[in-house]
Amino acid sequence: MAKKRTFKLLSKTTLIYLIFTFIAFYISAVILTNEADEYIDNTVEHQFSRVQHYTEHLLGVADHEHDDKITEREELPTERVEKRGLTIIPLYSDVDTSRYPVYSDTLIEFQDLDEVHRARKKTIIIPTDARMYRVEIFRPIEDMLKLRDDIFGALIPAFIALALGVVGFNYLMSGYFFRAYNKILDAMRTYKIGEKKELPTVKTNTTEFVRMQDLFRRMIHRIEDDYQHLKEYTENMAHEIQTPLAVIRNKIEHLIGDEHVMESHAVSIKTIYSETNHLSKLGNTLNLLTKIENNEFRDVQKIKTEHLLEKHISAISELARLKGLEIRKELNPDHTVHLDPFLMDIVIKNLLRNAVSYGSDAGPIQVSTTEKSLEVSNAGEPLDIQQDKLFERFVSNGKSNDSLGLGLALVKKICDSNNLDVKYRYDYGRHIFIVESTNGRML
Amino acid sequence: MKVLIIEDNDQLVQDIERFLTSNGFVVETATTFSEAEMKVHVYDYDCTILDLGLPDGNGLDLISEIKEEDPETGIIILTARDAVDEKVRGLDLGADDYMTKPFHPAELNARIRSVLRRNKFDRTNTLEVEELQVDLLANEAFIREKRLDLTRKEYDMLVYFMQNMNRVLTKENIAEHLWGDHIDQADSFDFIYNHIKNLRKKITDSGGKNYIQAKYGMGYIFSTKH
Repeated sequence: MAKKRTFKLLSKTTLIYLIFTFIAFYISAVILTNEADEYIDNTVEHQFSRVQHYTEHLLGVADHEHDDKITEREELPTERVEKRGLTIIPLYSDVDTSRYPVYSDTLIEFQDLDEVHRARKKTIIIPTDARMYRVEIFRPIEDMLKLRDDIFGALIPAFIALALGVVGFNYLMSGYFFRAYNKILDAMRTYKIGEKKELPTVKTNTTEFVRMQDLFRRMIHRIEDDYQHLKEYTENMAHEIQTPLAVIRNKIEHLIGDEHVMESHAVSIKTIYSETNHLSKLGNTLNLLTKIENNEFRDVQKIKTEHLLEKHISAISELARLKGLEIRKELNPDHTVHLDPFLMDIVIKNLLRNAVSYGSDAGPIQVSTTEKSLEVSNAGEPLDIQQDKLFERFVSNGKSNDSLGLGLALVKKICDSNNLDVKYRYDYGRHIFIVESTNGRML
Repeated sequence: MKVLIIEDNDQLVQDIERFLTSNGFVVETATTFSEAEMKVHVYDYDCTILDLGLPDGNGLDLISEIKEEDPETGIIILTARDAVDEKVRGLDLGADDYMTKPFHPAELNARIRSVLRRNKFDRTNTLEVEELQVDLLANEAFIREKRLDLTRKEYDMLVYFMQNMNRVLTKENIAEHLWGDHIDQADSFDFIYNHIKNLRKKITDSGGKNYIQAKYGMGYIFSTKH
């Protein structure tokens, strides 16, 4: 399953915030620009009106009621008149007045400044007794348009500054915001079940984190309870089962020693005895497997294996010799394991015991260690069970019913719980077991 | 030699008591923590067998009490198998040895004697049966002063037999005593058969009687009755 791309929470909130802010800024800009345009229109129109009145007055068509004095009527111009911002053009043919007034924006050259400015032009028709005049009024609006454009111009850098500020702030402060969160996660990560320590409390006033911490604490308590119950159960099982078995076994041994017991009873007695022993060993080993699963063997120590292996090898050397098996050892003094010594003992014991039990005299038993691995091998016929089932419980290689079938399951369980890997292969007539570290730590 | 057995299972207590008594010990019993506590404070014992799984109290607490009352008493604790913590705690608190259930009473016998010898209660450093003598300090066996050339395992087996005279020892029993669980049972039985064969031969070759007899194919007995 492909890993989904993930995003940081603050990145998500920042992005959404910035999108909305952008929209807000944009709408503001549009509204302000429109307001500015309206203002420009009104102001320019106001100015147009003044000039218009002046022109009407000039052409003698002004509303006399508003006049202070009666201006001497001048002669109506017959030629084009150009004043500053005003052009009066006499018309010698009639035009359709319904088209007017006409507004347009143009450019005006200011030669003395060597600049070109924008201006608004209003064209009107003023009819007089003599003829019609077309009047063009110009008002410069360059400054006002510049101001209007500056609105946008101001808002864009403002937004960019805000965006950078928010992003920068989040980048720097995210560590601070999530400090409590990270501390809580750390506490969870390093917590080990069964050590009876409390989860360290992280002080925070962030609602979500407080909730999370509470939930974790409750969860841990529940798990600890379950764990303790399971532990008690396995311990009780061991005790309660083994005591009656001990009683049975003692009675049988007593019967065996009883002179009045007849040989004909011997078969039954023999069976009861061996089955009782089998049951007892079974109970113990299954219990051990459960304990290992519950991680109850936590006394991890650094063990140099050379001495330990030699001890175990010498314990079985007599038997090996009796069976015609030679034990060859090549032990690296630097080979180290990090493991509860009790468990390491079990691993070595089981691997060696298997080698001796199943070894044929076709070749020697080999025990070797390198810096990083342990190998135990023996000669023998190929397995008559499937190789991948070898480490399962209650699977034995066609041997007598004496074997529990749990030895290799035990080894595998121990390895799985302690960053170790146990592998099997059959090569050149030899069964080979290798135990190696899985995480690069020294085995 | 006075021994106190502290164990809550009545049947087991009776069996052990019977066994140890027949082996020459004076035995007293306690089936609860409080009963044990009382006896420990009132009487002195040479050795105490203490089951840690008592219902009404923690056996480990008793160890300190026993040590306080009588520091020279030997203490053997009975633990569940693989209860490493318990075992270590017990030994740290002052127990001399531990045994896991189920155990062979014969093994218990051997361990008690071992603890007593260590604590210098048992002054006898030799085992003697008719013409056989065993020097427990030097780890050597003799027939009428003539030293027997025994391997370590053969010697251990002989001592075990002599400590449990006239009692059938099953192959499982002997195997566990000699090798623990280092080797497969099936292999160990062959092994025992071989050792017994050799041991018998060495004894009879040196003029000793044939003490070791097979019983129903299940075990052997060191018998002084011929």
